[in-house]
Amino acid sequence: MIRMSSPVAPSPDRKFLMKKKTGDRLFSLALLLPTILMTIIFILIPVVDSVIKSFLDYKVKNIISGVPGKWNDFANYIRLFQNSKLVPSIFITFEFVIIVVAMQFVFGMALALILNSNMKFARFFRSIMMMPWVVPTIISALIWMWIYQPQYGLLKYLVSFFSMGHISEFAILNHPSLALFGIAIAALWKQIPLTTLLLLAGLQNLPDDMLEAATVDGANGVARFFRIVLPYMKSVIKVAMSMAIIENFKQFPLVWTMTGGGPNNSTTTLAVLSYREAFVSNNLGSGAAVTTVWMLLMMVVVFVYNHLMRTEVMD
Amino acid sequence: MKKNILLNSILKYIVLALIFLFLLFPIYWVLITSFKSNMEAYRFPPTFMPQAPSLSSYFNLFVKNSDFFIYYKNNFIVAGAASVATTLLAICSGYAMSRFHFKWNRWIVAALLASQMFPVISRMISLYGIMGKIHLINTHIGLILALMAGMLPFTAMLMSSFFDSVPRAIEEAAYIDGAGRLQILWKIVAPLVKPGMLAVIIYAFLLTWDDYLHAITLIQSDALRTLSAGVALRYLGELSYDWSLINTISIVGMLPIIILFFFFQKYMIKGLVSGAVKG
Repeated sequence: MIRMSSPVAPSPDRKFLMKKKTGDRLFSLALLLPTILMTIIFILIPVVDSVIKSFLDYKVKNIISGVPGKWNDFANYIRLFQNSKLVPSIFITFEFVIIVVAMQFVFGMALALILNSNMKFARFFRSIMMMPWVVPTIISALIWMWIYQPQYGLLKYLVSFFSMGHISEFAILNHPSLALFGIAIAALWKQIPLTTLLLLAGLQNLPDDMLEAATVDGANGVARFFRIVLPYMKSVIKVAMSMAIIENFKQFPLVWTMTGGGPNNSTTTLAVLSYREAFVSNNLGSGAAVTTVWMLLMMVVVFVYNHLMRTEVMD
Repeated sequence: MKKNILLNSILKYIVLALIFLFLLFPIYWVLITSFKSNMEAYRFPPTFMPQAPSLSSYFNLFVKNSDFFIYYKNNFIVAGAASVATTLLAICSGYAMSRFHFKWNRWIVAALLASQMFPVISRMISLYGIMGKIHLINTHIGLILALMAGMLPFTAMLMSSFFDSVPRAIEEAAYIDGAGRLQILWKIVAPLVKPGMLAVIIYAFLLTWDDYLHAITLIQSDALRTLSAGVALRYLGELSYDWSLINTISIVGMLPIIILFFFFQKYMIKGLVSGAVKG
């Protein structure tokens, strides 16, 4: 895999250190090379290339015939804005990210606080809690689709049971204003475990004496949580939430499997729109225009997020 | 005061029970559905315990839908190869990033961090054409390479944080004693980060086992498809799904990864927490 020059024999002379430095440099470069090449070839070049394609008239037939795409004066972007596909899907994406990330923080934090409170079997709970996290995304979509199933689903039964039979038909994924929430529940199900795990690790790093001192001073639970626990955990929260934001911004398989973007485009996120343009309508240029806008938005969101969450005095 | 504490702990257990019900009940639900007969699976209101547990849907999967096992086998091949290869490369680059601090390191870390953010679809739009040109489209090798690239940034940084915890004095002593650099890495340092390697390899396996987007765009022939893509294209195409079959597929599809997780959870939990919380 990596061939190295023969090891430098130790020599007592003064050039030894210099020689070691050069050797280290070559060795380090050789070790990094495969990763760098892979990243350039399969990530950076494709991403730059797809940004370029977003300005071209480029369809699947161009690949087959080998004809290069033609510059089309921003027609991909103009069309996406004019036929009002892009703007709604931006709002839907943000709605999805905000719902999932906010609920994930609340439930993950609640669960982490409970598991951290000297309770019995906390380790056992922590390990079985992780199960949904390892379930493949497509299968988690299938699990929830079975629960939501319009004729025989568990949810339909529960809704009719708790509404005393008033609501006898309930198909969450067929309902334009509820479908996104239905997908969000499946996303939460899969993601709460990891968030809880990370927040729990942050809680376990809290200095005990700080909390004790605060208790002696008479701070009650809520004040302790907001004044001591949260500020101390800022860096862990920052990492956990930025992972959640990026993951949900990019979420595709769950949405595509559960609703395909419907009903009535009410769950057409940027991911679904770009996939549909590129690989269903076979218009790669138009799909690339969507992913370009999507990446720009993601950069803005991550930048704003890092700015808001910048670690100040506490670290 | 005492009453308050009691009330608090009751509330605590109620919240705990509700969240765990939410997290675990769906798996139970799919599991019992897979043991119901077809008739019972479609009964409404549903039964909460299978009345006549049967293995008929598993039998059906093996006999009538054995194509599923082609996808299953492919998933093992692709996930196994991609996770082993990713871990090897992550050990190399993680070691380099942890030990040798040259001016290019900052740029590499920045590139790796940025690479994690790009949506897969954006890469696929272009890779679809590129892979065609280099004759890697519709091959497992092409799929494995694309998957590896997607996982390398995170795994390399995770590996580097494990190397950070190994004291350098050991290597310096070995170097003075005349050991070569590669020898130091594989014989002396790597064995000390075995828990980290396990965390990385299992995490990589988990990610590739989960892959859908890479496979669905880069693989076209049915015989080469992996689990998620194969299941989605073959069993979810029609208007009415065969739910009995799908629940069985769900159980069989998640089984290897759940077993793997329970065997190695110690390493995985520790690895992920230290990787994410530190870097």
